[in-house]
Amino acid sequence: MSKEKTNYIEILTKGIWTENPVAYQVLGICSALAVTVKMSTAIVMGIALTMVTAFSNLLISSLRKKIPSNIRIIAELAIISSLVIVTDQILKAFFYDISKQLSIFVGLIITNCIVLGRAEAFALANKPFESFLDGIGNGIGYSLILVIVAFIRELLGSGKFFGFNIIPQFIFDAGYQNMGLMVLAPGAFFIIGLLVWLKNSLPGISKEER
Amino acid sequence: MSEAIDKNSKKNAILFALLLSVICSFLITIAASGLKEFQTANMELDKKINILKAADLIGAKKPSKKKINELYDAHIKEVTVDARGKIIKIQTAKSLNLYFYTADDMIKGYILPINTRGLWGKIQGYLAFENDGQTVSGFSVFSHSETPGLGGEIESAWFQKNFKGKKILNSHNKFVSIKIAKGKASNLPKDKQAHYVDGISGATLTGRYLSEGIKNTLVKYDAVSVTFRQKKLKARKVK
Repeated sequence: MSKEKTNYIEILTKGIWTENPVAYQVLGICSALAVTVKMSTAIVMGIALTMVTAFSNLLISSLRKKIPSNIRIIAELAIISSLVIVTDQILKAFFYDISKQLSIFVGLIITNCIVLGRAEAFALANKPFESFLDGIGNGIGYSLILVIVAFIRELLGSGKFFGFNIIPQFIFDAGYQNMGLMVLAPGAFFIIGLLVWLKNSLPGISKEER
Repeated sequence: MSEAIDKNSKKNAILFALLLSVICSFLITIAASGLKEFQTANMELDKKINILKAADLIGAKKPSKKKINELYDAHIKEVTVDARGKIIKIQTAKSLNLYFYTADDMIKGYILPINTRGLWGKIQGYLAFENDGQTVSGFSVFSHSETPGLGGEIESAWFQKNFKGKKILNSHNKFVSIKIAKGKASNLPKDKQAHYVDGISGATLTGRYLSEGIKNTLVKYDAVSVTFRQKKLKARKVK
């Protein structure tokens, strides 16, 4: 029992930190650039992706012995895209404002490499519950990076935190300016690059050390 | 077909694919039709909110659903006009839809629906005018597919606030429309400032398409604006 538990925890931490999908596997960069201008969109995107990855992993893992290997990718994509469409519909029905802000990016979860990547690399070879956890872990790992990037971009790019102005006016009066680069995609590239560097240079838990 | 492929697996693959497609489409249909009611309700409400926003009846803070419906019923009237700007009862192929903003049975202004292409998809919104037929009283967007944080800023309050008080006529009473500037409108020459709104950094193309769309809409609805400018509709009562 306890051995199983540590195994589950290991699967989760792998996704969240040691093999973080953005910082280690370098997957899902496209949407990480696009939705990280603001904290609120980053968080909803993170939740949506976590849900989709978790359930697609769960479904694909439970079907892993039935899926014919020659149409494997098509079958996986069919499952993933159905889940994404359902998620999009739910967002439209109950979180209309946020779904408007995320616009096309919810639909683009289908093409997010994390979902298919985890399905291929993990769900096809592991039991359903473990795959589900792996999806949750990777989703949280993705969200974590998104939130960090969004925090830096929103703060430096528009001087806000969750849409509230937090940089006082007198600093602007003293000549401070919002950093335009942070609002644009290259700003996210720099931050993600720095985060990858930071993660891989932290001792003990990084790739180089192991 | 004649190639030597394992029959069993081929049959299996087709069967599996069929079954999976049926189940998936079934799921999507359930989700789409089951949630349709909520979605259309959201969209209808959102349209009303944006018409009210354009007319400057509500601010950035979202009032309750009941309040929105009350305000809408009390102040907004949908009308159809023909190509010469006359109000008609029956819609024809050339007729145009717009909204009147009324208070105490008087027309205080009119609201034109904007429907244009953006960078990634359609931009739909409303542009409201005062009853002098040339001063913008508000602008709002209810549907777009622009990049969140860049072109998507067209739905933010700071951008929409800029439209208020802008003129579509220049000092010689010539039609000039309203354009989205590149950068701040205050950097432009004085005589242009009344026709330009602040642009969004990183969204030059969205701005260009929106400027184009606004101009096309204004040309299309020119007859309506002219009638208002000639004060034919100003004091008229509406039922």
